[in-house]
Amino acid sequence: MTEAQVIQPPARARSYSAQVAREVFTRWGARLGLAWILVLVMIAVFAPFLASSHPLLLAQQGQLSSPVLAHLNAADLTILAGFLAALAAAAWRRPLRHRLLLVLGTLVASGILSYAFVTPPALVVYEQYREAEAAGAYDWVVRAPIPYSPKDYLRDYGDTGLEAPLAEGERRHWLGTEENGSDVLARMVHASRIALGIGFIATGIALFIGVIIGGLMGYFSGIVDMIGMRLVEIFEAIPTLFLLLTFVAFFGRSLYMMMIIIGITSWSGYARYVRAEFLKLREQEYVQAAVACSLPLRSILFRHMLPNGAAPILVAASFGVASAILAEATLSFLGLGLVDDPSWGQMLNQAVQSSTFNWWMAAFPGGAIFLTVFAYNLVGESLRDALDPHLKKNA
Amino acid sequence: MLLEVNHLKTWLRAGKETVHAVEDVSFRIDRGETFCLVGESGSGKSVSALSVIQLLPRDITQHPGGEILFDYRHPDGRHERVDMLTLPEERRRAIRGSRIAMIFQEPMTSLNPVFTVGDQIIEALRLHRPEMSEAEARERAIAALAQVQIPNPEERVNEFPHRLSGGQRQRVMIAMAMACEPDLLIADEPTTALDVTVQAEILRLMRELQDRTGMGILFITHDFGVVAQMAQRLAVMRLGRIVEDGPVRQVLTRPAHAYTRQLIDALPENLHRRRVTGVRPTVEANQVVEQDEVLVRVEDFKIHFPVRKGLLRRVVDQVRAVDGVSLDIRRGQVLALVGESGCGKTTLGRGILRLLEATSGSVRFQNDDITRLSPRELRPFRRRMQIIFQDPASSLNPRLTVAEALTEPMAVHGIGASHEERLALAQAVIEQVQLPPDSLWRYPHEFSGGQRQRIGIARALVLNPSFIVCDEVTSALDVSVQAEILQILQTLREERGLTLLFITHNMGVVEYLADSMAVMYQGKVVEHGPTDRVCRAPENDYTRRLLAAVPRLDVQALV
Repeated sequence: MTEAQVIQPPARARSYSAQVAREVFTRWGARLGLAWILVLVMIAVFAPFLASSHPLLLAQQGQLSSPVLAHLNAADLTILAGFLAALAAAAWRRPLRHRLLLVLGTLVASGILSYAFVTPPALVVYEQYREAEAAGAYDWVVRAPIPYSPKDYLRDYGDTGLEAPLAEGERRHWLGTEENGSDVLARMVHASRIALGIGFIATGIALFIGVIIGGLMGYFSGIVDMIGMRLVEIFEAIPTLFLLLTFVAFFGRSLYMMMIIIGITSWSGYARYVRAEFLKLREQEYVQAAVACSLPLRSILFRHMLPNGAAPILVAASFGVASAILAEATLSFLGLGLVDDPSWGQMLNQAVQSSTFNWWMAAFPGGAIFLTVFAYNLVGESLRDALDPHLKKNA
Repeated sequence: MLLEVNHLKTWLRAGKETVHAVEDVSFRIDRGETFCLVGESGSGKSVSALSVIQLLPRDITQHPGGEILFDYRHPDGRHERVDMLTLPEERRRAIRGSRIAMIFQEPMTSLNPVFTVGDQIIEALRLHRPEMSEAEARERAIAALAQVQIPNPEERVNEFPHRLSGGQRQRVMIAMAMACEPDLLIADEPTTALDVTVQAEILRLMRELQDRTGMGILFITHDFGVVAQMAQRLAVMRLGRIVEDGPVRQVLTRPAHAYTRQLIDALPENLHRRRVTGVRPTVEANQVVEQDEVLVRVEDFKIHFPVRKGLLRRVVDQVRAVDGVSLDIRRGQVLALVGESGCGKTTLGRGILRLLEATSGSVRFQNDDITRLSPRELRPFRRRMQIIFQDPASSLNPRLTVAEALTEPMAVHGIGASHEERLALAQAVIEQVQLPPDSLWRYPHEFSGGQRQRIGIARALVLNPSFIVCDEVTSALDVSVQAEILQILQTLREERGLTLLFITHNMGVVEYLADSMAVMYQGKVVEHGPTDRVCRAPENDYTRRLLAAVPRLDVQALV
C-alpha cells in the first residue's frame, strides 16, 4: 500500500456485451424489430390514456376533474410505475444487476401497494360523459385520441353492431367496430398488454427454470445430467396446448395461469442450450482457472460461465417470446382465452364467428400478431448473427 | 530460375481498412533448391506464399505492384515464363496443383473427412490429367502413397482420413501434392502441428523427395531449428518486408540485420547460453539455498478415463492417460515435464491440482495428502497451488476486466482488507509482469497474445502461491515473446522462490529454465533426473529418440 491514491477505473470501458449490442443495433432488421416492440410497449403502457371513454380532463362548473385517473385500476398503476422505474434505471449509471433490481423491486412494491389500496369504482357507466357533454354540462372537455374504452359497447346509441372502418355516421371508428359495438382499435390497444405480458413473463419463467436446470446439468454432468435430461424429455413430451386446455377446463380462465403453464412447459429447450454451452465452457481454461482459485460455485456458474454462454439462450428466448404470443393467440382463437378482456386471438375468433366475413376484424388483429412475432424473430435473427463466431472478426 | 518474385505487394481489405500485408518483397527460387521464409506471426510470410499460388480470396485482395514470374513447364515439355498476377484464372488453375502444389499447417483439417484418401489423390490427378484412366490414376495414387512411405499403400488408399494419425495425414497431403509432380512445392508451416519425432520424419521425407524429383521448395516456418535443417537460402520477414536474405549459413552465423540478431538471440538455447555465462552465481546461490524439503510428492498416480460403449454405456476399456507416476518436486525447484502430445503430461499437471480426479495414487503437498479432500477442505491449498495455461486466447474470461479477474480470487481467499487494497495489490502484480498499470481496466480482447499470457501469470501470482503448474505456457507464442515470458518467469521464480512444474515439448525451454526434467511416454515417466544429465547422457531409448529429433540451430555445425 505504498500508493496513497485510490486506483480508479477510467470512464472508458468497452465490455463485450456493449460490443455485441452495438453490433446488433447496426443491423436494420434489429432496428425495425426493436422499433416496433418499443412502439408496442409505449402503447401498452399508456393504453388507458390512448383509448378510453373517460375524458382525460374536464371542467364542470369551474371544477377540474380527470375521470381517467379516477378509473385507473391496480394493474394500470403497476405498469406505469414499472415503466417509470425502467426510465430511471436507463439513466442510472450503475451495474446492470442494480438496475434490474430497481425495476423489479418497483414492480413488486407498486403491485402490492396498488392492489391493496386502489379500488376503482366497480360500476362503470361509460355513457354518462357523452350524455353530459350532449346536455352541455361541461365547460370544456379533453378526450383520449380514441374516445372509446375497449368494453364500451356504446349502448346509449342503440343502433350498435358491426360497422366497417370509417363508415358513414357521426361516430368515427378508425378500424370499425365488432359485433357488440365496441371499437376495434380501442380493443387492439388494450390487447397489446396481454400480448407483451404473456410473451415476456412466460419466457422469463421458462428462462429462469431452464438456465438453472441446464446449468447444473452441464456443469456437473454425470448423474445430475442424466436425471436432468430425463426430466427435460418428460417435459418435452407434454403438449402445451392440451395441458392448457385441460387447465382452462378445470380451473377457469386466468391470464396468469396461462403465463405459468406456457413458462413451465417451454423451459426444456433453454435447458438443452444452456447444458450444451456449459459442457463446452467447463473445459475452457478460464473456468479451470476459476476452479483452481477455488472460487465459489455461484461465481463460477453465473459470473464466469453464464455470460459467456448466454448468446444462444438470448437468441432462443427472442424466438420463445414470439411463440408464447402465438400460443396465447391460439387459445383465445379457440375461445378458451380470457372472457372479458380483449386479446388479438380472441378478436380473430370473433371475425370468423359472425355470419358474414368482416375483413377488418381479421386483418388488423392478425396483422398485429404477425408484426409482433415477426419483430421478435428479426431481433433474434440479428442477435444470432451478431454473436455468430464464424462471422465475427477475430477479437 | 524457377520462381522469381519482384517487388510484390499484397494488400488485404478488412472491413474499411486496408492491411498492407506484403510490402515490396522480392526473392527467387531455383530448381532443386529450398528457400525458407522466416518470421513471426503477422509478418506476411503466409500471405506471400498464398500470393504466389494465387489462393487469396479475390474480392478482398489487391496487388498494387510487383510480379510473380514462374517458369511454367507445359505438359508437352515447352517452357514458358508467366506472371501469376496477370494470368487469366483458367491458366492459373492449370498451374495450381499440377506445377505449384501446396501443403498446409494443420493436417487434421486439410483432408476432406467424407472421402477416402485415395479418392482425394485421384481427384487431383484426374483434374490435371484428364487423359488418365481411373485405374491408372489409382495406381499412381498408390505409388504416391508408397513414395511418402506410408506402410501398406494398397490398403491405406481406401482409408478415410480419421483412421490416420496427424503425421500420416501430413504424409497424405504431401503425396497429394506430389502426385502431379510439381516443380514448386509451397509448404506453409507443415510440421508446426506435429510432434518433434514426427516432424523429423516429415522433414527427412521432404528432403528425400526433393533429391529425387528436383523440385523447388518454398518453406515457411518460424522455427530456426527447422530452417537450419531444410534451407539452402532464407529470408527473414518483418511487417511485410524482407529485412535480410542470403545463404543459411551466412544469415544464421553472421546476421547483418538487428531484427535477425534479435530473433536468433531470443531462441531459448541462446538465452540459456547467456544465463550460464552471465548469471551463473545466482544459479549456484539457488542450489545452496535449495533445501531438501519436498514440496509436492506424487505417488503411484493414475488417471484413467473409462471408454463406454453400447446402449447401457458399459465400461469396455480404460484410457490410461496417467499410469502410475511417482515424482518428487523440491521446494524452489523447476521440474520440466517433457513428452509428445497425448503422453499424459497435461493430465498429470491438472491431476496434481485436483482439476481432474485421480483414479488411484496420491498427491502430497507439504506432507498433507490432498487427493481425497472435499472442496471446502481443499480451499486453503488452492491458494498455494496455481496454474498458468497454454492458450492465452481462452485462458481469460472475455467478459471480465483484468481488475475483476485478479481481485475476485483475492476476495474469496481473504487477501486484502478492502477492494481498494486488493486493487493496489493487483496493480503491483501487473507491474511485476511488466504490463502498463492501466491494463487493469481493459478487457482481454484488447491485449496481444503475449500480454494475455502475462495476465495469466498475474492471475496465478495474486494468491501468492508457492507452487505453479505452467502448462505449455509459451507454445502459442512467437520466439521473441516467448523469450520475454521465460525471462519474467525466471525473475519471478528467483524473487519469490517459486516452485514450478513446467509442462512443455520444447527442449530449448527446458534447458533454459529447468533444474531437473522428467520425460513422459504413454502415461509413464520413463526418465527423471537433472536437466544437464538427461540432455547430455539420456539413459532411456525414448528420451534418446526425442532428443535426437529436436531440430537445433547449431551454429558450430553450420560453420
